[in-house]
Amino acid sequence: MGIFEEISGALQQGRAPKVKELVQQALDDANSPKAILENGLLSGMAVIGEKFKNNEVFVPEVLIAARAMKAGVEVLQPHMTDADAVNKGKVVIGTVKGDLHDIGKNLVKLMMEGRGLTVIDLGVDVSADKFVDEAIANEVDIICCSALLTTTMNEMKAVVDLAKQKGVREKIKIMVGGAPITDTFCSNIGADCYRVDAASAADAALELCAG
Amino acid sequence: MKVQPLREKWKGTMTDRERFNNQMHYRSVDRCFNMEFGYWDENFREWKMFKDNGIKSNWQADVFFNFDRIETIGGNTWLNPGFTTTVLEETETTRTVRNGDGLIAVEEKNSSSIPHYIKSSVVTPDDWKKVKEEMLNIDDPDRIIDVEYLKENHPEDRDYPLCVSCGSMIGKIRDMLTFEGLAYACYDYPDMVEDMVETCCRLVEHFLDQVLPHFDFDLASGWEDICFKNGPIVSVDFFKNVVTPRYKRIRNKLDRYGIDLWYTDCDGDVRPILPYLMEGGINCLFPFEVNGCAHPAELLNEYGKELRIMGGVDKMALGSGRGAIDAYLKTLVPLVERGGYIPFCDHRCPPNVPEEDYLYYLDLKEKMFGMK
Repeated sequence: MGIFEEISGALQQGRAPKVKELVQQALDDANSPKAILENGLLSGMAVIGEKFKNNEVFVPEVLIAARAMKAGVEVLQPHMTDADAVNKGKVVIGTVKGDLHDIGKNLVKLMMEGRGLTVIDLGVDVSADKFVDEAIANEVDIICCSALLTTTMNEMKAVVDLAKQKGVREKIKIMVGGAPITDTFCSNIGADCYRVDAASAADAALELCAG
Repeated sequence: MKVQPLREKWKGTMTDRERFNNQMHYRSVDRCFNMEFGYWDENFREWKMFKDNGIKSNWQADVFFNFDRIETIGGNTWLNPGFTTTVLEETETTRTVRNGDGLIAVEEKNSSSIPHYIKSSVVTPDDWKKVKEEMLNIDDPDRIIDVEYLKENHPEDRDYPLCVSCGSMIGKIRDMLTFEGLAYACYDYPDMVEDMVETCCRLVEHFLDQVLPHFDFDLASGWEDICFKNGPIVSVDFFKNVVTPRYKRIRNKLDRYGIDLWYTDCDGDVRPILPYLMEGGINCLFPFEVNGCAHPAELLNEYGKELRIMGGVDKMALGSGRGAIDAYLKTLVPLVERGGYIPFCDHRCPPNVPEEDYLYYLDLKEKMFGMK
């Protein structure tokens, strides 16, 4: 088994110390940080994402795999140059105003990072103003809004409306998600994309960023 | 304050107890058992009928709507004493607290929804050892049940179903460690988490041993809340290997006292762990979230009469107008006719449901499943 497969396998098992050790070994063997990131770490997360979509693994496995990826990235970070950066797109993500629930939002963030997207996390209880202002300031491709409550999901429409009002709606895609959200709701408020789970959302975000 | 009922109790020819037991055991009934799970705190502040009549709690609302009666006896099966609740920071809309489970959490002042958990007080086996010694002592006199008092309150000739609570094997641990904390702990300290589950089980057994010989319970209940929209928040293997064997121990005790019906309160998509819940002896789901899982018919068809469901009225339909309420309740007719199913809102009813539509739903439910 090659070093990249070993990294990917250890990551899928959530073995953070092993991932760190293997990433260091791969660097010592003169593999480029970009190759280690793409062929080892991101490749492992892609497998976990696929298994998550297929109900072969569940949230705990995703969390420990993501923790292992983070451990590997920390080893890589000092060796990365601009040329090594994996720049597949940029997203701002947050839970909408009035809602403090972040489990789903955090999962989507982990999955998006695992697919090589840069994710700016605005946290919970995020106003429409903040979503749109941060999206403009950071020149993102996507605004990603999460809500758990039936009472807060309509805040997503405020984000869509504000993006229109500020003249950036054509440039920035808007994704929505969370327990009460459906495709119909997504269409009704004029958002671009809803996916049923975090891994599918990350896949969709990649596609949206690729245009 | 004495609550004045808003509505007549549904007409019937059976006692609530006879009706509940017959319905959940596929025998003939005069009508469907009439119950609801409750309401968000916001409903008590916002719905005019609650405000005008001083209804501020779910038990008051049960009397207000004149639902059929069902009661539960529970024990002291968790941290005692708990962590001291402390307010660490306060803003106009939120409050950061260390709660009774030792969690630092941000709560919204005007919402009854789940708080935003930031940090647990229990992370390592050393933390757990301290908590176990100081707060989970099985010989704590506070864990002794006043059986005579309970017998006075729930006499043998009662006309309502009486439920015995079997607590939680993993849900309270999730509460103590946080969602992410539990996932990491299962991987980093599996022996610690198993010891936590074992401790929960022993405390529940200790309670059951005190009450089971003294009451003719109609059902057992439990609480886990261990799933969300995309499945369980513990690994299926962990659930199967660590939690299910403890359920089996509880099931053995219930069997000795003839209690066959046992529900657990678990939100979200329970399907991946349902075979292991059932292997452990749990045979009823409550309040069965439709949007987070499936239509109740899907699971009742798949598992047949081995599985019962309480709940399963889609809260999204209740908030989508009368046409949606009509259409959804029609889908439940075969399930109510089949038995082993009691319809009610699939969690606490949220405040986005207009109160007029809620009353319409109650009326329609009576028309369809009562004797009106």
